[in-house]
Amino acid sequence: MVSKLIFKDNNYNLLTILIICVFAIALIIFLGSKSNEEVHNIVQEQFNEQQLLLARQFTDGIEEFLNQKTTIIEILANEISDKPPDEVITSFVNVYNETTDIHVIEFVNESGIVTLGCPEENRPLGYDLYENNQEGAFERARDNKETYISRPTFLLEGGMGVFIWTPVYRVDEFKGVVLVIIRISDISDRFLKNCESPRGIYMIDKRGTILYDSSNRYRWGRNYLEKLGNENPRLQQILHHQMNGSEGIGYYSEMNGSEKRLIAYSPIQWRNQLWSVAVTSPVSEVDTLINSVYVKQGVFIGVSGIFLLLGSFSIILLLTRWNKSLELEVDSKTSEITKSNELLKRANKKLMELDKLKSDFVSMVSHELKTPLTPMKTSAEFLLQNDPDVNVRREMLELIVRNIDRQTRMVNDMLDISRIESGNMRFRKEILDIGEIINSAIETMKKQSEEKKINITTDIPTDLLNINADKDKLIQVFINLLSNALKFTPNGGNVEIKAFESEKYIEVCVKDDGIGIPPDKINKIFNKFYQIDNTSARPYGGSGLGLAITKSIMEGHGGTIRVESTPGEGSVFILKFLK
Amino acid sequence: MNPDDIDKEIIKIIEKDPEMPYSRIAELLQISEEEVKVKLEMLSDTRQKILIVDDELDALIPLKRALEAEDYLVVEASSGMEAIEKTRKAHPDLILLDLMMPGMDGFAVCKVLKDDTLTGHIPIIMLTAKGEIDDKIGGIEIGADDYVTKPFDLGELKARIKMILRRTDV
Repeated sequence: MVSKLIFKDNNYNLLTILIICVFAIALIIFLGSKSNEEVHNIVQEQFNEQQLLLARQFTDGIEEFLNQKTTIIEILANEISDKPPDEVITSFVNVYNETTDIHVIEFVNESGIVTLGCPEENRPLGYDLYENNQEGAFERARDNKETYISRPTFLLEGGMGVFIWTPVYRVDEFKGVVLVIIRISDISDRFLKNCESPRGIYMIDKRGTILYDSSNRYRWGRNYLEKLGNENPRLQQILHHQMNGSEGIGYYSEMNGSEKRLIAYSPIQWRNQLWSVAVTSPVSEVDTLINSVYVKQGVFIGVSGIFLLLGSFSIILLLTRWNKSLELEVDSKTSEITKSNELLKRANKKLMELDKLKSDFVSMVSHELKTPLTPMKTSAEFLLQNDPDVNVRREMLELIVRNIDRQTRMVNDMLDISRIESGNMRFRKEILDIGEIINSAIETMKKQSEEKKINITTDIPTDLLNINADKDKLIQVFINLLSNALKFTPNGGNVEIKAFESEKYIEVCVKDDGIGIPPDKINKIFNKFYQIDNTSARPYGGSGLGLAITKSIMEGHGGTIRVESTPGEGSVFILKFLK
Repeated sequence: MNPDDIDKEIIKIIEKDPEMPYSRIAELLQISEEEVKVKLEMLSDTRQKILIVDDELDALIPLKRALEAEDYLVVEASSGMEAIEKTRKAHPDLILLDLMMPGMDGFAVCKVLKDDTLTGHIPIIMLTAKGEIDDKIGGIEIGADDYVTKPFDLGELKARIKMILRRTDV
């Protein structure tokens, strides 16, 4: 019903289905891209946050490290204010040994000359700040009575370093300055080196001087802004933010314009110094991240899809097999039913044939029984109504008697057959001479054979063995055979009866040169009620019982009867009696 | 010489010389004197002629005697072929036809006779031992004028014969 409605107008429906499909696909793409965008945004946000945290982690570490060092130096400065120089150097050695990443600790006396230092290889003893015009930071620390940190500068030994100037006062008496130099490379080695690609890290101070660059594109000590010149205004803007001490996130494109990068930056606030650490990473990393998630999801979906497919395939296989076995079973059952139906049909056909045989027999018998009645009745009524002369009267009476005999024979046949059917046929056996029996049968049939001018000849040896049989029944056998032979042999024909002895049997042949029996009918002639021609036009009368009775009698004597025949030439009935 | 021709010859001879003795006629036609006598009797017979057809001789004889006693001229035939032959030759006024006959049965004979314009007018009464309805219908459909079941009542059969013959006379 539904499918009919759907497929009523094929073209129209095809178009509808197509439109629905396109619409559905568009919807799926739209939803997919939207959710992808959302996912992208969320991941991007998370990623940015993460980058910022990373930057913050770096700056926190560096800030803490530097502040710690500064505090230690301040404590040291306080400690050594009233100590003699040899104790001061001991303290310096202790601090140098106990703390890491200090390049050198020096003591600059009140007149700006380096007097003490540790370690030995890095201390420029006797170096006069005033002589070298480097007294600015020294004086600032002395005057402000607090630690001053000068901006990172190149070291005499190479590399860059940051100078921490801590004034030493005993009460209000200025004793000098403890100068500690920390190499930038030590800081970057400790905090920034262990960074994975494709990320980049760089550190600048508030003037834009590059302190560290993991990409090694720019050498430390150069000014980033100067290096950029007029290029990449976005990056310049970010650098300005960094130099102002801001924290945040920004995007810029590489100078060749190929890659868009993300920068997360965080400031380091260390006394009077302001530095900034930036973590850069390609924006495509987010996509890579998302893609990797998608790839994992895809793999998961693929694997579960394969499992589902395999599962359903095996279920289908199972069902198909089950179905097939069911089909086979149904087939075999159907063929069984067909077979049994066939058997029933055959049995039914046989029964119907039998039934037809019976009803044919009944109509035949009724005809045969009625036939003698007609002349009897007609003759009797004629005699009643007229008074004919003696000859006619005799003729009528003889006719009546003859027909009474005929009907009696018919009734006897019927009785015989019913005895055969119920198995009640009895034989009174006695020792008999077959020749006598045959002659007596021929005598009985004499009148009929003479009427048809048929010559009956016999060839019976005189010394033939006697047999044990029922005399009347045996005579009936030969009468039946002779009557058949006479019936089916044309006028003037011949009938021959021959007897002889074989090793086990006594055989008697009754041969005629009559019409013969068609080969397809020869097996049926001994059947009860069988007549070769049972149409109303059949030329030969009879009940169809004669041969059946004959066969039964023969079998009742332990003998056999068979027939050989050639249509148009004649038939031979061969009787065999056991010796 | 064919019997019909003999009949015609005898009539011609009698017309010329009504007083001619039987022996002379027999001599002329080269047949026996007895035969001439029978032929002349037949020719002078004005009785109504009935053809009885039955393969059973025993059924034929008493019927023939009974009908002869009623003063009909009875002609016999014991097979279908013979019945057709005799009908054409003797032109009976009525045919009593048995149904069950060897060779050509009553239905076939009836059909042949009724289809022939020369014999189609001759009334036929079917006789049969089978009393079934389909035989009755078959007999009448083929053109049998009446139908009598064997064994029949002689008086009834005679009455039917009379009735049918009166009808054809009119």
